[in-house]
Amino acid sequence: MSANRRVILILLSSLIPTIPLTAEAAPPPGRLLASQCAQCHGTNGRAVGDIDSLSGESAQEIYEEVLEMKYSPDTNDIMHRQAKGYSDEQIRLIADYYGSLNTGGGSGGGDDGDHGDHGDRGDRGDRDDRDDHDDD
Amino acid sequence: MNTISRRHFLKLTGAAAALAATPIYLKAQSLSGRVVVVGGGFAGATLAKYLKLWGGAGVAVTLVDANPAHISCILSNLVLTNSLNLSQITFNYAALQQLGVNFVQGQATGLEKPTNSTWRVQVTGRTPLDCEHVVLAPGIEFQPVAGWDPNKIPHAWQAGAQTTLLKQQIQTMRAGGLFIMTVPPKPYRCPPGPYERACVVADYLKRTKPGSKVIVLDANPSIVAEPETFHRAFTQTHAGVIEYHPNAALLAVDSDQRIANTSVGDFKADVLNVIAPQKAGALVASAGLTGAGLWAPVNPLNYESTIAGMAGVHIIGDSQGTGQPKSGHIANAEAKVCADAILRAFAGEAPDPAPMTNSACYSPITSNTASWLTAVYAYNPATKTMDLVPPSFGEAASPTRDNYEDMFDWAANLFADTFA
Repeated sequence: MSANRRVILILLSSLIPTIPLTAEAAPPPGRLLASQCAQCHGTNGRAVGDIDSLSGESAQEIYEEVLEMKYSPDTNDIMHRQAKGYSDEQIRLIADYYGSLNTGGGSGGGDDGDHGDHGDRGDRGDRDDRDDHDDD
Repeated sequence: MNTISRRHFLKLTGAAAALAATPIYLKAQSLSGRVVVVGGGFAGATLAKYLKLWGGAGVAVTLVDANPAHISCILSNLVLTNSLNLSQITFNYAALQQLGVNFVQGQATGLEKPTNSTWRVQVTGRTPLDCEHVVLAPGIEFQPVAGWDPNKIPHAWQAGAQTTLLKQQIQTMRAGGLFIMTVPPKPYRCPPGPYERACVVADYLKRTKPGSKVIVLDANPSIVAEPETFHRAFTQTHAGVIEYHPNAALLAVDSDQRIANTSVGDFKADVLNVIAPQKAGALVASAGLTGAGLWAPVNPLNYESTIAGMAGVHIIGDSQGTGQPKSGHIANAEAKVCADAILRAFAGEAPDPAPMTNSACYSPITSNTASWLTAVYAYNPATKTMDLVPPSFGEAASPTRDNYEDMFDWAANLFADTFA
């Protein structure tokens, strides 16, 4: 697919308003942990390029995908390594935080079925598939 | 260079800039306080951004940097080989200003403590800046080396004019010439960086100046980062072009004759690249924040100085001395921990007791392949240190074209999360 079309999609998605967070003294649980994903997955999980956006995925999707990578014997993948650095509880907090940023039923969550396949370079294929879905 | 990747990368950085134009958080919370951040690299810019994203309008954030924009060291080795140009890795602070960050261009020269709870940052030619929390993120400074003139013998380890100087020297070098580089003792900025540079320069010389060689004079006893990857790169991929010398401590430099005087002998170069031994940024040392060492001791829960009398002064990025690797990616990670802790302090709360940070990076090995390195660090309450989580630590099995493509996606997202 062309990078052009992907960029346009990214621009459009930036126009979707995000629900303001409620006022509270303590920061939302998982926010600091989740922010550590943003170096690669974008601020608030909105990535550019072929890296998965976490924004738009449900908490359960993210949790299951990261756990699968954590317990996968395949270590020749950055995320498989990264996932092994966190406890299941931490992964749950991260997933719940990104899930809570969802606008509710927005586009971009329509990549279901991808999270069963993370072997070898399979996840790379997943990313491309995902983008193609969005395009069409 | 793979031109598809480069074009793609440009579009990504453009998209990231547009994406950032809308503030994402509309924070109703009534936190209030003042923070002055010195240094607008990966650490300082991320800190300023996240203080505003998470803290809202009541948190006044001033970012001070001597330059109007930051030039990234990440990807700058690709500028040496003409694959990218500096404008593609230069980031101004317009997006942060849109978030409400007050950007002040100027040289911060010192710290004072006018009251028990206030810090004052002196900036040349400007009204001093008062705040409750100062965050210093000035990056690295070089230790002096006898005879070394960086205007003749570039380090190119702070991107910008130095990168351009080294690039010009490499591009005008004779075919069959000797490119010699020195690697400082660890810790230094970007552990895989020097070896990455040796690889991309070797690759470039093979293609454009046949018969040239690259000599790596490493002060360390062995390759510091990605040892498998770079050992293979030096002995197979770039065999006959790269020559690696461990335990070669730099003693002096003849900047006119281009000679590196080391503990294993003198080496005369056509192009000499001295990546000198490093220490914390000048302001960190002059403010008394390094103690007896070269780096600033800090509490990794909030990156506050552990030196007596320095409460409210935080050091993040390459100048801090937690032992975490010195890189742009992890500087961004530290900044978020620091921002969260400062905002909690404004709310009268203790820092998160279990912070995590991570490092991930890609290194080009040739003009179309790259490797990667990754690690996660967790706070250890027993030792009060950030400790590597061993199963998270590893390097790519081999350099690949896929990794080379992924490198630009990683960089575009890191740049956006920091500056956009």
